[in-house]
Amino acid sequence: MERKNILNLIIIITFAVLLIGLLNLDILQGSKFRKLSDSNSIRLISQSGARGNILDRNGEIIVGSKISYDVMILPEEPSHVGYLLSRISHILKIELGQLKAALKKNFISSSVPVVIASNIDLKKAILLGEYRAEEPSIIITPKPLRNYPHGSLAAHVVGYVNQIDRWRLTKLEDYGYKTKDIVGFGGVEEKYDYYLRQEEGGQSVEVNHRGQFMRVLGFQAPTNGRDIQLTLDLKIQKIVEDSMAGRKGSAILMDPQDGQILALASYPNFNPAVFVNNRSSLIAGLINNPDAPLINRSISSSYPPASVFKMIVASAALELKKIDTSTSFLCQGSTMVGARKYSCWDTHGRQNIFQAVAHSCDIFFYRTGLLAGAQNIHDYALKLGLGKNVGFELPYETSGFIPSPLWRKLNKFQSWFDGDTANLAIGQGDCLVTPLQATNMMAVFANGGFLTSPYIVRAVGGLDFSTKKKKLIPVKFKQSTFNTIISGLRKVVSDPEGTGNALSSLPVKVAGKTGTAQVARKATHAWFLGFFPFDKPKFVICIFLEHGGPGHTASVVAKQIIAEMDKQGLI
Amino acid sequence: MRSSFFKIFILALIISLLGVLSIYSSTFQKLGAWQNIYMRQMLWLIIGLACFFIFSGINYRKLWDANYFIYAAALFFLFLVFALGIIRLGAQRWLRFAWFNFQPSEFAKLAVIIFLARYFSRKSVNDTSLLSGKFGIFRGIILPFIFVAIPMFLIIEQPDLGSGLMLMLIFVCLLYLTNVRLRYISVFLSLIILPLPFLWNFLHDYQKQRLLVFLNPNIDPLGAGYTIIQSKIAIGSGGFFGRGWLAGTQSQLYFLPESHTDFIFATFSEQWGFLGSCLLILMYYLIIRQGFLIAQRTQDTFGKLLAYGISLLLALQVSINIAMNMGLAPVVGLPLPLMSYGGSSILTTFIALGILVSIDRTRTVF
Repeated sequence: MERKNILNLIIIITFAVLLIGLLNLDILQGSKFRKLSDSNSIRLISQSGARGNILDRNGEIIVGSKISYDVMILPEEPSHVGYLLSRISHILKIELGQLKAALKKNFISSSVPVVIASNIDLKKAILLGEYRAEEPSIIITPKPLRNYPHGSLAAHVVGYVNQIDRWRLTKLEDYGYKTKDIVGFGGVEEKYDYYLRQEEGGQSVEVNHRGQFMRVLGFQAPTNGRDIQLTLDLKIQKIVEDSMAGRKGSAILMDPQDGQILALASYPNFNPAVFVNNRSSLIAGLINNPDAPLINRSISSSYPPASVFKMIVASAALELKKIDTSTSFLCQGSTMVGARKYSCWDTHGRQNIFQAVAHSCDIFFYRTGLLAGAQNIHDYALKLGLGKNVGFELPYETSGFIPSPLWRKLNKFQSWFDGDTANLAIGQGDCLVTPLQATNMMAVFANGGFLTSPYIVRAVGGLDFSTKKKKLIPVKFKQSTFNTIISGLRKVVSDPEGTGNALSSLPVKVAGKTGTAQVARKATHAWFLGFFPFDKPKFVICIFLEHGGPGHTASVVAKQIIAEMDKQGLI
Repeated sequence: MRSSFFKIFILALIISLLGVLSIYSSTFQKLGAWQNIYMRQMLWLIIGLACFFIFSGINYRKLWDANYFIYAAALFFLFLVFALGIIRLGAQRWLRFAWFNFQPSEFAKLAVIIFLARYFSRKSVNDTSLLSGKFGIFRGIILPFIFVAIPMFLIIEQPDLGSGLMLMLIFVCLLYLTNVRLRYISVFLSLIILPLPFLWNFLHDYQKQRLLVFLNPNIDPLGAGYTIIQSKIAIGSGGFFGRGWLAGTQSQLYFLPESHTDFIFATFSEQWGFLGSCLLILMYYLIIRQGFLIAQRTQDTFGKLLAYGISLLLALQVSINIAMNMGLAPVVGLPLPLMSYGGSSILTTFIALGILVSIDRTRTVF
């Protein structure tokens, strides 16, 4: 072959190789390179919506959102980033080291914007926005943050928000939760997180090789979470918390007719805002506090009910016809049960049921309890909603405990003695109830025969659920039993010798029962359970003071609350 | 023969207009003076076309006479660049004139081709046989190599490895075509290739890096490998139909460096896809094929070698540049003839094409 033909052939082959190379890049690997090209020039900047608000029954915001601003940068050129940070540090008056640390911590890749400062206010955001004209790789995005206009008010009801933890993430991954999501902890925030949760939107922007913004390619608006309306009445909640301030314990106000919680407080409390700003020292303080301010004492702790339990003993005995209104026992300060002496807190003389309730005479109830029998007392306690979860909406509810001879035999292989019955009859021993259970029990007497299911969430996203939530379970006691106990409860207040006589001076007629729970080696717990107005009960009130002294102190707190409510015309 | 004139003219015009479109698309988002760069290219194109008409009109045999002058002028300009480089303590490839930069290495490529064609052919138009068949190794290889080596050295020293190697390749191809004994050529080639490992040490660092990166672009994805990776992404993302004119993100958002000069093929390919690129390569091939046909038709050895040389120059530059764009060849800094931005390249290419047409036109005279 001639040399020119060989050369010609070589050139044809070369061009064919070029075409094959083109085929390889464009057709065989085309989609891969298209993706690479897009990831070169397209950035996603997410924008989060606002978490749903939590409102009180009148629509007033308990927990809302306010807009704060996040500053992000695109760290594409390492040499430029240092200069950028120092300028930002100058404008925001944040230390350079802090910005650098944030960059290091949040850095994912050079093509993803990094948050270097969060929660900056509007004024600084505007200042920085002006600088953005020179440095388009600075991105400022609005970010709604949890806002607590009333501070720590109703903190235990609403809970707090924080970054999702590993345990929750494994549970919630299937529902679209991601690491670094902000989720609710405790209270309504946790229980209704799925509804409160916002959906992220964002914009996709085109950038050039330096990460400078070129144009917006698309935008998806973020969706806000759904608002949740509670049954709480902020005014009452405020009154309750003002009266509880500085004490330890729990206070609940409930509507006895349908179980709506009007106020629910647990003290000591906490300010949920510290979790928003992630003030780690304050959070550590909350967690390490021996008084456990994060625990919702209204539902998550249970205590001996003491004298408030006497209503159950009385109901059981009356229903089982072991006693009637004419039965009376003589209180001489103490009595022998078996071989042991059981004393009363005072010497009351002859007591019938009305007097015994009013004076909280232990002797009467030792006797009555022994007549009724421990197992019956246990059964009646369960009928009135003790010893099991009330099925409340807030998480971490404990069920309390009511002992019985059967339980003891099955679980502890021990016998039940009359002394145990006597102890149970005055609500001591192993007996434990939560303040919410106690409230629920009192509601049965206030509404005349219905066990309510307390609830606190009224509407989600504007849909009212209250009719579905209202569940009334009839408690089939004789009307005379109710009448007897209710008039006894009224006497607690109206009788000059009554344990709750402090409340008699109120303009509203109150009925109730105090309790003083003995605790080993510590001050007693104080209880007050009551309802008012007596003729047409609209409120059940429960005051529980942990190591708060005698029941009288609880009744004084209740008096304060009711007086203030009356003053504000809330009754 | 007017048909070859029209074919070459039309093809070259289409390709260079596509070049202007690509230059516009790759720079229209850039600021300031960059935006007018396509206007300058248009101007060069017009001047280039004028040169094409002029050179196709004059008898190419005049180049025979002007040969030594052309060669000397090329050497002069190269020396000037070399000297200025020393004075200014910095490498440069061009000479600054009133409002443009002149790149002598482009011109030198053509000058060397004319020189070699003249060297290997006889003056007499009646004897069409080549001289070189009777040449020994000295007159056949060593002497012409010295004439090629001087400009080659000056160009490599600029430093412009690509253009320097281009001269070398053309020299070898022309040797092959002039029927110099294969034995001599193989001895010559082995003498050139064997010391290459030692020459490695004389390469600039960035040249070494480019060669290494060619072997594996991922060793330095943000440095020397960046261009190859971005260029491959640009070409590949075009897909079959391309992303459309002015819609290529790689070239317009600065991801692809040199998107209007050495990497204009990637810019074009991103926008016009597999289809457009195939047509472009086909058009280049058709021009080169015309050159080969002209060379084969020509009886005059000078014209024949000149036509081969010009076609080969075109073929080598096009294929190396496109291969370099696709990551099949090292990045050596060669423009894509007719498309890349740059007056010297456009002018030289159009002059060369003009000479080609002139050879075909004058052929019939004899």
